[in-house]
Amino acid sequence: MPDKAAVEWIRKGKAFAAKKRYKDALRAYEKAISIDPTYAVPYFSKAEVFAEQGQFKEALELCDKAISIDPNYADAWSKKGLCLFSLERFADALTACTRALALNGNDPMAWYIKGVSLDELGRSVEAQEAFGKSLELEIILDMEAEKKKMGR
Amino acid sequence: MIGNVPIAKPVRKFVAHAEELLGTEIVIARDREAPLSGTLVDRYTYPVENEYIVFPAHYVGLIKDFIIAKLTLTLLIKGAAAKRGEYKVISFTEESVYNGMRQIYLDALKDEAKKEKKLPVNKLIEMLFILYMHFQEDMNELPWNPVVNTGVYIKIPKIRKTQLYYLMKEGKEDMDEMMEQMDIIPRRYFVFSKAMFYARDYFLARTLPADELMPVINIPQMKKFNHLEVKEMLTTRWTHTAWYQSKVFGDSMIQIMDSSIINDWNANPDLDYYYNLYMIIQRLTDNLLSYMSMNSWFVWEPVKHLQDAMLVKGEYEQKALRRIFGDLIL
Repeated sequence: MPDKAAVEWIRKGKAFAAKKRYKDALRAYEKAISIDPTYAVPYFSKAEVFAEQGQFKEALELCDKAISIDPNYADAWSKKGLCLFSLERFADALTACTRALALNGNDPMAWYIKGVSLDELGRSVEAQEAFGKSLELEIILDMEAEKKKMGR
Repeated sequence: MIGNVPIAKPVRKFVAHAEELLGTEIVIARDREAPLSGTLVDRYTYPVENEYIVFPAHYVGLIKDFIIAKLTLTLLIKGAAAKRGEYKVISFTEESVYNGMRQIYLDALKDEAKKEKKLPVNKLIEMLFILYMHFQEDMNELPWNPVVNTGVYIKIPKIRKTQLYYLMKEGKEDMDEMMEQMDIIPRRYFVFSKAMFYARDYFLARTLPADELMPVINIPQMKKFNHLEVKEMLTTRWTHTAWYQSKVFGDSMIQIMDSSIINDWNANPDLDYYYNLYMIIQRLTDNLLSYMSMNSWFVWEPVKHLQDAMLVKGEYEQKALRRIFGDLIL
């Protein structure tokens, strides 16, 4: 079980990140790491902030750190795929996304990155399959977002 | 291209093509607050140095790619027209506002005479300008839609399934529009509004055949139009409904779209190609305005004219009301 204080710092960090206050978000995640260095989530959260700002090398290192702590961390594998794709390491991105999808088959981003990576590698038939799955999941999310909006 | 967003190869190539042709750099960004259809901020409309395409943050995959493709083509068309100094939009003047509001008022009077429950006078007066501006907005947007969608469909086949979903969603939202005001606004304008969306959806359903966009089956609200001929034979009352009338007008508008949107879609995509698309949009807009007898309602003017007009629209509304109602309006 992660330390409660660390979880609280992550929650604060997410609130900062949502407002694009990235420095404050990073500081909050650092606090969480200092409280519980064996907790994978704040490393992943830091990776999200770096990826959001286009710093994919840094984000990749943090994803690897999170995965080294928790090898079954699906979101970290998915984000790793995104970073690798952005660094134009398409074959590695495909491997990372395949792993992410083995852990969570309902991740539209992982399916999408798998699709675009396959497309870059010239495997367009397989890419279409991945795109199809990604779209299916994105539509479900879109419809849920719509429902939420209607319920507001 | 500036941005940290992964984009599918054909869409990325299309964005690069736009950048090269227009001599610009496009910033692609996501934003939680962005409208579902995305936003294009371009130098032909706003005082910016780069072009911006912003999409809703929750779109992470192909829907995002489709929005980017659609707005990139919109940018190309605007840019091609602007480079010739001919990019204009549907704007309004004091006189054109008067023409539109007066016509709406006359039509509202005809409708009100037949109603048991009359609309309060203040509501009726308020409705005139709101409805006028509704059409001003629609006429600036709707004619772009079939042209841009056909273009994306032909240029980027890989995102056709996404396009199909997006169009159905858009069609559903557009058919929902004005429903709450159905009994308030004059029938003529409710029908025109629905007919335009009906025509657009049917035009696209025929233009984008590979993926079977079947509006009357896939868009719940469009089911009202299903088997309409049979219903028409069974009851004459049905022919007096707004939905039947929307279908009749919509069928004519499909013909207008067919005759206005004629293009060699596979021609060399240079600036002339995109300028030609702009001319098609202008022609379609003019033909739809003529069909709805709205020629004197609006004027084609540069964007600046519309931006200036928006600043004084309240004044135009008041002046038009004074001309229509005289001293009755204080």
